[in-house]
Amino acid sequence: MKIVVASSFVPFVDGGGRFIVEWLTERLRAEGHAVERIYLPFIDVPTTMLEQTLAYRLIDVAQSADRLIAIRPPAHVIPHPNKVLWFIHHFRAFYDLWDSNYRSVPDRPESHAMRRRLWHMDGIALREARRVLTISKVVASRLRDFNGVPSEVVYPPLHRPEQFRCDGYGDEILCISRVEYHKRQDLLIEAMRFVRSPVKLRLCGIGLSPDYRRALIGIVERHGLHGRVTLDYRWVGEDEKIDLFANALAIAYVPFDEDGVGYPALEAAPARKAVVTTTDSGAVVELMRDGINGEVLPPDPAAIAGAFDRLYLDRARARRMGEAHAAHVAGMNITWDRVLERMLA
Amino acid sequence: MKVLVVNNMAPFVWGGAEELAENLVRRLNVTPGVQSELLRLPFQWEPAERLPLEIYIHRTYRLQNIDRVIALKFPAYLVPHERKTLWLLHQFRQAYDHGREETHIPDTERGRDIRRLIRESDAACFSACAKIFVNSEITRRRLGANSGVTGEVLLPPMNDPELFAGGESGGYVFAGGRINRAKRQHLLVEAMRHVESGVRLVVAGPPDAPEDGERLRRLVGEYGLDGRVALDLRLLPRGEIARYVNGALACAYLPFEEDSVGYVTMEAFTAAKPVLTASDSGGVLTIVADGRTGWVAAPDPRALAAALDAATTRPGRTAQMGAEARAAWQKLDVNWPSTVERLLS
Repeated sequence: MKIVVASSFVPFVDGGGRFIVEWLTERLRAEGHAVERIYLPFIDVPTTMLEQTLAYRLIDVAQSADRLIAIRPPAHVIPHPNKVLWFIHHFRAFYDLWDSNYRSVPDRPESHAMRRRLWHMDGIALREARRVLTISKVVASRLRDFNGVPSEVVYPPLHRPEQFRCDGYGDEILCISRVEYHKRQDLLIEAMRFVRSPVKLRLCGIGLSPDYRRALIGIVERHGLHGRVTLDYRWVGEDEKIDLFANALAIAYVPFDEDGVGYPALEAAPARKAVVTTTDSGAVVELMRDGINGEVLPPDPAAIAGAFDRLYLDRARARRMGEAHAAHVAGMNITWDRVLERMLA
Repeated sequence: MKVLVVNNMAPFVWGGAEELAENLVRRLNVTPGVQSELLRLPFQWEPAERLPLEIYIHRTYRLQNIDRVIALKFPAYLVPHERKTLWLLHQFRQAYDHGREETHIPDTERGRDIRRLIRESDAACFSACAKIFVNSEITRRRLGANSGVTGEVLLPPMNDPELFAGGESGGYVFAGGRINRAKRQHLLVEAMRHVESGVRLVVAGPPDAPEDGERLRRLVGEYGLDGRVALDLRLLPRGEIARYVNGALACAYLPFEEDSVGYVTMEAFTAAKPVLTASDSGGVLTIVADGRTGWVAAPDPRALAAALDAATTRPGRTAQMGAEARAAWQKLDVNWPSTVERLLS
C-alpha cells in the first residue's frame, strides 16, 4: 500500500510528534509498504492559524496515495478518502485551556469567532476520517467532550524498548526530558530541599528557554543543593540514556497536564524502574497504579520529597515497584504490532 | 545559523532534484556553524486549476526558527521568509514557453490568467530574494528572458568526484545515465551501424520504463551489433559507473534540450574523458567545446558515427582532449565547499 504520513513540525525541533512520525514510517516500511513522510511547517500564532490550516486543507495528496495517516495538527485537515488520524493534541488554547490562565489568545470577539471556526473545521476533519486513533485517554475524552467524536486509544510505543535494561537501583532519581517550564523540573529540585535521606537527583536534557534553565540553576544555588542535584544540561544520546536508566533508583516525570503518557514514564518500564509523578501531570497518570508501580503525588515539593526518601530507604520496595511497572506496562500491549494493526485496519 | 532548504515533492517520485536537495543539506550540515534541514512541500500541478491553489498554499505556509532559506523550485520558493536565497533549478516552464512547450494549461482566458498569476508571483518573489543562483547557463538565459532577472550560474557539484580519477583507455565509448527516449541512447546505437573504425559502445544505466530498455535491445539485435555494443541496463552502484568511465576512451551524452550540464558530463570531465554530444543537447553545450574537450555532432546517426570514428582512430588526440576537458572543469571550481560558501554569502 502507498501510504503518506503527514504531520506539522517546527524545523530544528525534535518533539514527541516527530518521533512518532519517524518510528511509524520505519515500521510501515518494514512491513513492506511504500511510505512517504511529509512534514509541513506550522507556527502556533493565533492570527494566522486559520489561514495556515486552510493551506493544509487545500493540499492534494489524494491522487498519489492509497492512505493518509495524519499525526500532528493541522495535518488532520488534509483531505483524503482513506484517512486515519493518530490525533496527538488539540489546539488547546481554543479548547480545554480556553477558560484557564493558559489561554494564549485575548478575550475579543474575533478570538471567539476564530474559536467557532476552528471547532467547526476540526469537526469536519475528524468526522471525515476513516478512523480516529488517539495517543491517550485524556485526548480521547477531549475529542468526545468537545467534538463529540469517538476515538480509540493507541499509546505510541517506544522505538526499541528491548534495548533498555536494569543493572540495579542506585542513589539517583533520574529525569531525562526536555527542559521547559511545563516539564516542571523546578518542582523536582524544590523537592530536594525537603528530603531527609541522602537521595540524589539527576536532570538531563535541553530546551528552548534559556530563562528556565537559568531559573533551575538559581534554585540549586539558592538552596545549596550542589552535590545533591546534578543539572546536566545537554542532549543525552540513546546509549547513554539506557545506561542512566539501568542504574537509576527510580524515574521522576512531573510535567504539567501532558497530552501523552510521556516517553520517560514508558522507558522506565523496560528498565524496571518505579515512576514518581503528580496528580496533575495529565496522561502520565494513565500508566500508573499509585503505590504499586510508583507514586502519584500532589504537585507539592514536600510530598515528592517523601516519595524520594521512601524509595531511597527501601530498595526492595523500589525494586518491587520497578518490576510491577514493567509488568503493568507490558500488560497494556503498547507495541508497534498493535499500532500497525489499528492503522491499517 | 539554521538553514532550511525548501524543495517541492510529488509523493513517491524521486529524481535528480531530490538527490541534489538531500546532498545540499548534508553538505550544509558539515559546514562549521551551520545546521540544515530539508522541507519538501507537496506540489500537484494537475489539473491547471490546481496552480492558483498551490501558489496560495505556498504563500500561506509560515516558518519560524530559521535564519536562512535556500529554495530550489516553483512553487517552493514562494514560501515567505525575509532571508531567502534561490538556487533555481527551473521555473514553471509552461507559464513562459507558451506555444513551444506541451502544456496542460488551456489556451483560454482562464488559462491566460493562470499563466499571468504564475509570472506575477515569480516576479514578486524574485524581487524579494537576497540572491538568485541558477543551476545552469540555460536556466540563467531563460530566467533573464522570462522574468528580466539576472541569475548567477552555480553548477551543482558531484558528490563523489574522488571516484572519477581517470585511467587507461579500454577502447570503448561509454554512455551512462538514465535511459529513456529523451536521453537518446538509441541514436548512439544507430550510429554504430555506420562506423568504419573498430569502436565499441557501452551503454549502462537504469531504463525509466521497460520499453526504454527494450528499444535498445531490439536495435542491437536488428543491426547485428552484438559484440560491438554492450548493454548493461540496470541501476549501477557508483563504483561500477566510475569503473566504466575511468576505463573509457571517451564518453557520450546527448540528451534532447536539457537544462543542465548533466552529471554524466561532469563525471567524464573529472575523469579526463572528452564528451561526444549533440548540437541540440542544451546545457551540455555550455561546457563541451567541439574539437577541444569533445565533439558536438548533429543529432543524426551518420554525424555521430563520424565523431565515434574520430575518437577511435586518433586515440592520442582523444587523450589530449580528455586532459583539456579535465583542466576546463577544474577551472570552473565546481565543488561542494565553494558552492556552500557562495550560497551562504
